[in-house]
Amino acid sequence: MNWNSQDMDTYFQQKDYIDTLLVPLLKLETVPEALKGSSSATEFLMHLSNFIETQFRGRMMVLPPFTYTQSTNLQEMGNVLSKDLQLMDFKHIFYLTTDRAWTDVDIEGEMIWLPSIPLESMDQQLRKTVIEDQLRQVLPLLTNKWTE
Amino acid sequence: MSKNRVSRRQFLSYTIMGVGGFMASGTIMPMLRFAVDPVLQKSGEGDFTATPQRVDELTETPVRVDYTIVDRQDGWYKSDESYSAWVYKSGDRIVALSPVCKHLGCTVNWGGDKNHPDQFFCPCHAGRYEKNGKHVPGTPPIGPLDEYLVMEKDGYLYLGGTRPNTLV
Repeated sequence: MNWNSQDMDTYFQQKDYIDTLLVPLLKLETVPEALKGSSSATEFLMHLSNFIETQFRGRMMVLPPFTYTQSTNLQEMGNVLSKDLQLMDFKHIFYLTTDRAWTDVDIEGEMIWLPSIPLESMDQQLRKTVIEDQLRQVLPLLTNKWTE
Repeated sequence: MSKNRVSRRQFLSYTIMGVGGFMASGTIMPMLRFAVDPVLQKSGEGDFTATPQRVDELTETPVRVDYTIVDRQDGWYKSDESYSAWVYKSGDRIVALSPVCKHLGCTVNWGGDKNHPDQFFCPCHAGRYEKNGKHVPGTPPIGPLDEYLVMEKDGYLYLGGTRPNTLV
């Protein structure tokens, strides 16, 4: 489900079933030469998290992306997130990002890193196939955690 | 000529009636139009969407058909929305089932569970449905999968809105 008040009502009613949090981490680069790549990565990450939301909306709460710029200290940000997101009552926390730097950060929960794929030049059908392929990579990570 | 003379009083009342009538029609006509409009609106066929699936390629095994409703306007947000359906043939009838799990709205897959290859499977909480969309008792879903309205046109499958399952 999404972070909106309607889905939140469902969440409160069905709390036992919705035990997973998906947190997109989004790097927004502000140097002129990096804008294009950064926006393309944003598109990819948002498409992917939307797609995951549709597939697993009955088990997952997908948060709005946490956005940071290139000078952000990721370890500090990770510490804050680990601490605050724990307050919510979710059994599993997954982070989703295209920023490789997160793989070195120590954080509570599972970090899923995927390289960004430029979707902008693809038609609807191809885009869907690519996103599905990416989901297939992520799927075992999720289901393994769920069946643990 | 002199017999049909219009008196000053008559002239004034004709003028007032004329202008008043014109003004009244300006307010009443749109109201009538609003009242009658829903009756005049066409419905039905226009709500079907073309899919890339050829009808003669369908078999007894459910296949996933993806289709897109182009330029859907939702408030100020304009988008092409993608939908899926699980479609198969049952005798002469084309059956198109919605992939949305009746439990909490995840997307179900045909044969997604290795132990039950002839059923629909919901990966979220291991919900299962039989081929006709009937939910398997003892798994989380509380009702059968919805069914799409189907139509064939020029050999291609067209899908309309969903309705409660009629096969179960």
